[in-house]
Amino acid sequence: MTAPAMDVSAQPKMKKPGLGWPVILIGSILVIVVCLFPFVWMGLSSIKTLKELYSVPPIWWPAVPSLDNYYKVLFESNIPRYFLNSVIISVGSTGLALILAIFASYGFARFDFKGKAFWQAFVLVGQLLPTAAIIVPLFITLRVLGLVNTYWGLILVYMIVTLPLSVWMLTSYFKAIPVELEEAAIIDGASRMGVLFRITLPLSLPGLVAVIVYAFVTTWNEFIFALCFATDSSVKTLPIGLAEFSTEFNTDWGAVMAASVVMTLPIALLFLVFQKMFVGGLTAGATKG
Amino acid sequence: MKSQTGLLFALPALIVLFMLIAYPVAYTGLLSVTDAKGNFSGLDNFAAVLKPKVTVQAFINTIYWVFGSIVFQVVLGTLTAILLNQSFFGRGALRAITLIPWVVPGIVAATTWAWMFHTEFGIINYMLTGTGVLQNPIGWLTNKDTVMPVLIAINVWKLFPFVAIMVLAGLQSIPNDLYEAARVDGATFWEEVWYIMLPSVRPVITAVTLLLVIWGLNSITIIYAITRGGPANKTLITPIQIFRSAFESFQFNQAAALSVIFFAVTIVVVFIYIKVLSAQPGEAK
Amino acid sequence: MKLTSAAAMLALTVSSLTLSTAAFAGEVVWWTPNWGEARAKELVEKFQAANPGITIKAEITVSDGLPQRVLTALQSGGAPDIIEVQHGWVNGYAQNGLIIPLDDTIQDKDDYTKAAIDYVTWDNQLWAIPYRMETRAVVFNKGDFTAVGLDPANPPQTWDQFVDAATKLSVNGKSGFAITGGGEMGNTITASLPYVWMAGGALISDDMTTATANSPETVKGVTFYTDFLKKGLSPASTLENDGTAARRLFIAGTVSSYLGGQFDIPSIKTENPAIDIGVFPIPHPEGVNTAGVLGGWSYVIPKDAKNPTDAKLFLQFLNTTENQGFFTDTFPVRVSSQALPRFDDPILSVFKSMLPYARPVPIHKNWVQITQAYFDGLQRIMLDEQTPQEAMDQANEEIQALLDS
Repeated sequence: MTAPAMDVSAQPKMKKPGLGWPVILIGSILVIVVCLFPFVWMGLSSIKTLKELYSVPPIWWPAVPSLDNYYKVLFESNIPRYFLNSVIISVGSTGLALILAIFASYGFARFDFKGKAFWQAFVLVGQLLPTAAIIVPLFITLRVLGLVNTYWGLILVYMIVTLPLSVWMLTSYFKAIPVELEEAAIIDGASRMGVLFRITLPLSLPGLVAVIVYAFVTTWNEFIFALCFATDSSVKTLPIGLAEFSTEFNTDWGAVMAASVVMTLPIALLFLVFQKMFVGGLTAGATKG
Repeated sequence: MKSQTGLLFALPALIVLFMLIAYPVAYTGLLSVTDAKGNFSGLDNFAAVLKPKVTVQAFINTIYWVFGSIVFQVVLGTLTAILLNQSFFGRGALRAITLIPWVVPGIVAATTWAWMFHTEFGIINYMLTGTGVLQNPIGWLTNKDTVMPVLIAINVWKLFPFVAIMVLAGLQSIPNDLYEAARVDGATFWEEVWYIMLPSVRPVITAVTLLLVIWGLNSITIIYAITRGGPANKTLITPIQIFRSAFESFQFNQAAALSVIFFAVTIVVVFIYIKVLSAQPGEAK
Repeated sequence: MKLTSAAAMLALTVSSLTLSTAAFAGEVVWWTPNWGEARAKELVEKFQAANPGITIKAEITVSDGLPQRVLTALQSGGAPDIIEVQHGWVNGYAQNGLIIPLDDTIQDKDDYTKAAIDYVTWDNQLWAIPYRMETRAVVFNKGDFTAVGLDPANPPQTWDQFVDAATKLSVNGKSGFAITGGGEMGNTITASLPYVWMAGGALISDDMTTATANSPETVKGVTFYTDFLKKGLSPASTLENDGTAARRLFIAGTVSSYLGGQFDIPSIKTENPAIDIGVFPIPHPEGVNTAGVLGGWSYVIPKDAKNPTDAKLFLQFLNTTENQGFFTDTFPVRVSSQALPRFDDPILSVFKSMLPYARPVPIHKNWVQITQAYFDGLQRIMLDEQTPQEAMDQANEEIQALLDS
């Protein structure tokens, strides 16, 4: 293993070791190419004319780039309305999942209780049944609750998708925080809730951000539940809007690509702002407290 | 602290989940042991779904699909996380870019890839033949040896950002004094990775892996959008088989039976996983 | 033991207590696809003006995931009052008791094309009102024909002429005739079954007890179809192409002909106006009539519809000679509607001439799985895994098991 190397380079240096810049550069270029290649292709497709979209051999750059598809998506389709619906539903379900998951994860991470393994597995049950199997009974459940074609219906249904992950990931992030910190606070007279909100949560901020991003993105892109449970255009979401560019025998791919870019970019930009919160937390050496 | 306090914390989430899935679970169980008219039929549905050869083939394909995807998702995701954890100019932008495959709507991503891999329209064959790497275009999605690896590659592309972001969050939570202690000993970067970073994010990686297994077992979007399980069932996985029998063939009872089998297998995997996890030191308190 | 019906009763009782998708008296909820949205709105306004007591609420559906959405709604009792579905789905709904018969709703039944009526009839009852129908024909590039010395005014009529023409057209990297072998299964079934039928074969016997997928006639039809790929007359991408992909290759100019529908014509005209489009009927063996698979759409009323009475009234309005002819995307099912000036377009005449030869597929509860077994067989042939005979032997075995179950 790598242990013998220790002796060779055993000079005391406090400088933070890191990847050399060539590795960082090559790695970054690789990540950019891999992640962006299809997305750039989508972006290029959105400014091509119909004839240029499907040509043999394919062409990279359109003769006359056109923003017609964006005009169509933004001003002549239901996309703006669905965008609003998607924001409401995704924010609602992410928020609800986060609140429920914070408490549940704290319970799982910090306490031992009877049947813990069972309850942890129970959280996952909703994801273990194939969508094809649960969609009909789920619809019946929603009808009984009177939630078909409502924001609340989709927000609740998305708990099945987002809660299991949120609970499991947060549990693992909470576990990574040294228990000693909490014990010290409790000795100082803090309550359990106080410990959770003043110590554990701030320290796991990166984990919270990751879970928020996950839950938001998943609900943002979900198709089949939205298709079946939201039939009225007042609650339809963006993925349904994408499908509306298709007719029986044709798909307006230029518009679909433009709409996908409209759907994707705001989230990536939002994350660009959010990712600053990935730092902070522990890097300031909070464990010394 | 051996009390029920922990359960109390978990209760609200458990109640919400119970409210949503109790009926679907009972309904599926009931359907699996009845026939289309609602009469009790014992294990007939189970026998009926286990008989066709295609069930076995789908099961093998599922294992291939899930494990093939997960190995690369976890390894590439973790490496990307380590890269994104370095400090360099443009890191924020790179982090946002990494997120893009995950944010692109699944069905659009799948269709775009299918289009790029197309034998004739595809930009991939065009680039490979244009630069002389290939003499003739390859039928990526029509060749029985390449179709599954290509689908796995698309799936890895779609989900490795998820692993990267989750692991990155774990790396960011590592207390500085751990690094400082190692630096006093003159540890190299890769020694830090091996002795500090990986052990610290192990709970995160195990949780992520479990979730990837579950999603892999349940994910149909990519395969369904691109090949629908074809050609000749080379990419048919069990969830697609369930989808087909329920929604294309109206065999709701057989689909339910297949779901129950599927459920039983996965729940066993999950339980073993949780047991192994809780046996690790320093986690249960 | 009626376990599920007990559960269903329970669910029904509970749901009747709540007023979930509360349709008030006089409201009819109509699920109609997005491609007819503008025409649907026009009809709704006309109907509401004539019937002030009834409100029609049109909810727009999309083709992606439509079968799942419809089936989920039907199964869970949360269905609207009228749904537009493809002819081929009707029979599954009927056999599972999810929709109601419409014998009392249809007017002038004799005016409807018989093949379409047969398609949605089961157990001597009519389960849907078919309003739209179409069949495919070969769409070809007249310029390509001229370029290789073929006469576009005299397109191939027999199988031999067809293969001959396709071979001549397959030069300079072009493919003479694109068959399909991937994407949505229905495309390839529609494209290949006519050859099986014309060769005298079928997948199952008329009495639906015996699989006939490996009979010499069926294998002959299958071989004729798959040979287009084997002989290099269909593009290398055939196994990943559906009807839409074939059309796109045609528009891109790498394919000289393919099996298309009248709905393809406007796309081709806008995306590549340079192509001079021609259409000819699907060629046939010497001395045999051509054949095609009948496609199209029907209206159904779900069993759980809240307002079936008004829904039926609205259906009668939708299916007057004039309104049916106005609403359909392709051809109307009523013969009297087909006489409307809208359908006189010369490019439509070939498609129209194919209609009398269009056949419905057999009405069997396992039909989708039967076609899946056949489709898998076709793909095995195209993958070079099996010969047509071997592939159809295996398919036959699977189909027989489905017939016996």
